[in-house]
Amino acid sequence: MVLVDIRETKSVKAADIFLQVRPGKDFELITILRAMIKDQPISETQIAETGLTMEQLQDFVSRMKAARFGVMFFGMGLSMTRGKHMNSAALLTLAAEMNAFTKFVAMPMRGHGNVTGADVIMRSQTGYPFGISFNRGYPRYNPGEFSTVDVLVRGDTDCAFIIGADPGATMPQPAIDHLARIPTIVLDPHVTHTSRLSRVHITTAPAGISAPGTAYRMDEIPLPLHPALESPYPSDEEVVRRINETLMKKPDWMGERPQILQTQI
Amino acid sequence: MNKIKLTLKKPPTVVLEAEVITPDHLVERSNEEIRASVVYHGKRQRRLDDFFDIEGERSDCVEIHGDLHRVRHVGRGMTRGDLTVRGDVGMHLGAHMSGGTIEVFGNAGDWVGGEMKQGRIHVHGDVGQQLGAAYRGSPIGMQGGTILIDGNAGIEVGMRMRRGTIVVGGTARDFAGLQMKGGTIILCGGAEIRTGAWMQRGTIVSLKEISLMPTFAYSGAYNPTFLNVYARHLGTLGIDLPCAEAEGSYKRFCGDRAVPGKGEILIWEPAVS
Repeated sequence: MVLVDIRETKSVKAADIFLQVRPGKDFELITILRAMIKDQPISETQIAETGLTMEQLQDFVSRMKAARFGVMFFGMGLSMTRGKHMNSAALLTLAAEMNAFTKFVAMPMRGHGNVTGADVIMRSQTGYPFGISFNRGYPRYNPGEFSTVDVLVRGDTDCAFIIGADPGATMPQPAIDHLARIPTIVLDPHVTHTSRLSRVHITTAPAGISAPGTAYRMDEIPLPLHPALESPYPSDEEVVRRINETLMKKPDWMGERPQILQTQI
Repeated sequence: MNKIKLTLKKPPTVVLEAEVITPDHLVERSNEEIRASVVYHGKRQRRLDDFFDIEGERSDCVEIHGDLHRVRHVGRGMTRGDLTVRGDVGMHLGAHMSGGTIEVFGNAGDWVGGEMKQGRIHVHGDVGQQLGAAYRGSPIGMQGGTILIDGNAGIEVGMRMRRGTIVVGGTARDFAGLQMKGGTIILCGGAEIRTGAWMQRGTIVSLKEISLMPTFAYSGAYNPTFLNVYARHLGTLGIDLPCAEAEGSYKRFCGDRAVPGKGEILIWEPAVS
């Protein structure tokens, strides 16, 4: 196991090799690795800015190529620092390119609860994992335009409906301010940062403890949840179904037919 | 000259998607038909005259007044005519356009000229991210035409662009020329980090010193002849690109070796007097 981090964490004990990369140099390091696996000339001075040496990287590349089945795990240290999605894109590209030599996959280490489940369901229902708009009556995907944080920071929404998440604890301040400004509806078993600033908080039964459902493991294996306890509160699913039933009684908002936005002109 | 003038009554509360505001759509319609054009306010279909006062008809010369920062897709896919915006404008300005000119006296949002094929966009203020870039999942961004920005630009300027010219007067943020496949980006005010990352071909010219990716290699200093041609063309658009040997020379870096690519980054170095 090779561990790459900006500091010595507790995982170092379990790792065979520890590579300490300089903070904010992940993208540069992965790009150098992409060049090195293709035997492109890279000099010692060019590698120096990542905080590692030529010897370390050559050893790392030969170990990767010698592996029968390699897995790269990456977390928020990569995807939430400067460069964001491109840091993840770099690692995914490296994993794709390693398949010219041996089998390699990359897998995100998810934070929070059932994030993988949300991605899997959105993907199977719409073809896209997140950042989707339905305003034209069909799904459109564009992270940066339709992703939650961006929509809230720009103040492009006049209502928010939040299920099983606590953006009030993790999102940037302008997004939280906008959530407080607009009518926010929260479904959550607990009192959270978001429920404190919301207009409506519906207490639901905690999934897996008193509500049934399916959770997805990090490697996208669905696990059925069997409730152990009774709860006086309804499940998330029941609340959403009842809201939907009421909405169905309202007149259709689509008009005669949606005006399709031509993407290929 | 016959002209169509649109004035925003008041800024929309949520995003207004108005891909009907293009010379192509307006040129063959009467004033009454233009008023009845469908725009999307959030998820609801509304009439264009719910948001705009409209004067004129049947013209491909369009002028828009007001703060349009929540109005998206203005000039989408246009093939002809002139579109002038006096105020800020929202995302996807001139996306997919293949002709005509757009001029903005204000700031513009993300994806200005996304995947455009031909035509000219001139923004006098700042622009957001993904200027002249490819949409998500699409392999090719801008394929031709000219984009001139007087102010600053956000991240991923010219992402995956194939042909065409982008000039940024101010500073560009990270990842300018990301995965470029061709074309020219001129950065008059330099850029932040990771310029030209993963580029395959194409030229990035910076008039200020910029930090480069470690996968770029220095390959000499010279005055490329082709820049004379560029300088003469850009001179007609009001941009001064230095190219005389007496004034200095360009340091050439090639890369990105990770791809491996044959792109070039030219950094201007004024002669020491």
